[in-house]
Amino acid sequence: MLAQQDSGPPEGAGMSLLAAADLQDHLLVASNDLERLQRLLSDACDSLMGHFYAASGELRTLLHGAAVQAGAEQPQLHRAMEHMAGAITAMQFQDLASQLVDHTNRRLRNCADRLASQAMGDDEDGEAVIGEAPLRPNPVIQDEMDAGSVELF
Amino acid sequence: MHSILAVDDSASMRQMVSFTLKNAGFNVVEAVDGQDAFEKANSRDFNLVLTDQNMPRLDGIGLTRKLRENPKFKTTPILILTTESSDQMKQAGRAAGATGWLVKPFDPAKLVEVIGKVIR
Repeated sequence: MLAQQDSGPPEGAGMSLLAAADLQDHLLVASNDLERLQRLLSDACDSLMGHFYAASGELRTLLHGAAVQAGAEQPQLHRAMEHMAGAITAMQFQDLASQLVDHTNRRLRNCADRLASQAMGDDEDGEAVIGEAPLRPNPVIQDEMDAGSVELF
Repeated sequence: MHSILAVDDSASMRQMVSFTLKNAGFNVVEAVDGQDAFEKANSRDFNLVLTDQNMPRLDGIGLTRKLRENPKFKTTPILILTTESSDQMKQAGRAAGATGWLVKPFDPAKLVEVIGKVIR
């Protein structure tokens, strides 16, 4: 990944080439792990949602059947539907986690690229390819899955 | 039946918003980003637009600004549902013409209540 250059690290790099390469490796491993985490979250969420909607559909059918047969809807079934709806807030974890992971991953990639560029200078074609750093702080500042605020203007 | 345009680039979020609003008796049309929403908004009428902020091609504030330029959407409620909670972003949304700012994750009952308050 990192080739030793005859000329050594540029002035002011402040770190041996070997140490920079090692650090870059760690950053890239962490970045790859985050990408794997994204896929796991996405896969888990797809599965969770599939079962959630299937269960909701079954409950709705039962509610409809109960209403037709007894002339009145079953309170237990209503409560079950309310529990399903209540789970919706927590099930939004994938959207928040995905944005958080993506933002952190871009920051890690940018650090790894900058480290390589600083330690070893430009690539053979004279350009250092540095992944774009996030332009602003992470928009996801939530650290729990409580419902967010509502503000009408 | 009231029609709502639900905009989010996350498929799971679109599903959850649709699930919640359909259960509450609304007709829901989904759009995958601001540009898709803008095209759909111009092809039919909606009683409310519920949009995410951070999306590819056209974000929620950009969509709000474009919709407000169209007389058809001059008074249509536009709610921004997003992870963003900074005052700066909220002010930008307000300046663009948004009706309200909701921070994710949403509570289904609260979302339906807020929509009930502002929908036309």
